[in-house]
Amino acid sequence: MKRIWSLIVASMMILSLALTGCSQQPAEDASKDEFKSQIFFKGSSTLAPVVSQIATEFIDANETWNKVNADFPEKSIDLFVSAGGSSAGVKAIIDGTSDFGMVSREVKDEEKEKIADYKEFRLGLDVLTISVNPENPILDVKKNLTTEEVMKIFSGEYKYWDEVAPGLPHNEIVVVTRDIGGGAHQVFQDKVMGDAQVKAEAIQEPSMGALVTKIMENKDAIGYASYGFVNQNVGKITPLEVDGIAPTEGNIISGAYKISRPLIVIKSGELLPQEQLFVDLMLSEEGMKTVEKMGYVPAK
Amino acid sequence: MKSDKAFELIIKMFTLVSVTILGFIIFFIGAESIPAFRHSGVAGFFANERWHPIGAEPVLSILPMVLATVYVSFLAVAIALPIGVGTAVFLSCIAGESARRVLKPFIDLMAGLPSVVFGFMGLIVVVGYFERHFSMSSGESALAGGIVLAIMILPYIVSTCDTTMAGIMKSYKISSDSLGVSKWHMVRYLVLPAAKRSVLAGAVLALARGMGETMAVMMVIGNSPLLPRLLGKCETIPALIALEMGGAPVGSLHYHALFAAGLILIIMRFAVSMAVWRIKRGADL
Repeated sequence: MKRIWSLIVASMMILSLALTGCSQQPAEDASKDEFKSQIFFKGSSTLAPVVSQIATEFIDANETWNKVNADFPEKSIDLFVSAGGSSAGVKAIIDGTSDFGMVSREVKDEEKEKIADYKEFRLGLDVLTISVNPENPILDVKKNLTTEEVMKIFSGEYKYWDEVAPGLPHNEIVVVTRDIGGGAHQVFQDKVMGDAQVKAEAIQEPSMGALVTKIMENKDAIGYASYGFVNQNVGKITPLEVDGIAPTEGNIISGAYKISRPLIVIKSGELLPQEQLFVDLMLSEEGMKTVEKMGYVPAK
Repeated sequence: MKSDKAFELIIKMFTLVSVTILGFIIFFIGAESIPAFRHSGVAGFFANERWHPIGAEPVLSILPMVLATVYVSFLAVAIALPIGVGTAVFLSCIAGESARRVLKPFIDLMAGLPSVVFGFMGLIVVVGYFERHFSMSSGESALAGGIVLAIMILPYIVSTCDTTMAGIMKSYKISSDSLGVSKWHMVRYLVLPAAKRSVLAGAVLALARGMGETMAVMMVIGNSPLLPRLLGKCETIPALIALEMGGAPVGSLHYHALFAAGLILIIMRFAVSMAVWRIKRGADL
């Protein structure tokens, strides 16, 4: 008897394995009638902590949907935020694998073409600061680099610090970048490098956190640290001025500091009432406060 | 009898399912990498030292990454092998039963530590040490990767060698004790020569393991697509894929090139696994 049972269980397992691929279609149909209590966010690793923070506060305050709005059923609020890069966020919307995409760069026109009924919500702005270790003697000599100097440092034309400004030590410049194909690097490439390439000796870090850590630990390092991270690590890394303009909130809002990128949440098609509710929350004063608290410049 | 038949059928089905899945994975990776090979040709993939998948004129050559993968793995095996074999000799021939019972699981446990932990330790300890004590501008280097990887593959070498050595020790202990041969003489002239093949198998197994390691290596080698030098930065194939996959738009040449890199890594590891299999067939394991 036991053996027969084990046989049945085994064959069920195989069957379930074989059928998992088929489940996607029916689930989509069901979502129209049934209340959708889960909302998925995917994309930019810069934006993910912000959305995650707003979502956590929202869930803690309400727990179930009917407490937010009496018309909604009593279902627990499940908001899932996963980071995987801006391009992954756009891809998730094109493929329909996520409800919202998080993107920390402008969405390209050819990407918008692939998304039916494209919608975007701007949460805020981030800039890439050209940051160095606070112990770097360049801070005593010059606090300002021109775009051309930044380009020469990153492309390897300036190899040692004393080439940037006389009086600096003859130490090799340690250039730290994000992965060359990623969203942050594309912004930097467009706004600073132009057609020049970043030198092959540059250290490619897998995340903005790792990039900032490298600058904090190596006094010869220079890299494009996100504004939010600079604010979270005041005193441990120091941003330089670019073309005489410091990355301050005023300069970022006015657009004077040019190495900036938007923080956008994108969506394809009409929003469900509960989705609209959460988007409104993100764009509300409270949501903007969270954006600011995480170190970015809020959109409003 | 009937249930035996059914059981056999189910086992066969399981095997078929897993073999099919594996086949599909390889097929998928192969199919996805075709556009990249079509762009630069199979030879072009190893033609020069430049990897530049985006931009107007993409150059796809993963020669630096292939060499770096081999370089870092061999470096790791070179560092780990003497330590590993020494540990195995100690465990099987010198340590008492109680010491062995404590140490063996401890070493096996090392194999189970998440690789990001090794990477983190490597970043703080090894890379930090290089920066403070050598006049290196940045501590990220092939050597740092080799050291971190050596610690990670140590359990594989120890396990393979220890099993064989303990077996040899067991079968010859009484005879050599009765002949009055010293323990060290026995290790030198009996245990080590007899375990030669499994030492080799352990080393190659560790090499295969090392080639695929992603996270820990990626954190300490700097990920610069350069030809590997001992104290220079480099980038292994797994690091390349992990780093760039998130940013490569689906269907782009960059995306296909990363799949091609994955295919090359699979072929490299397959070659190493074949070597393990050949060696093991010769050894009595």
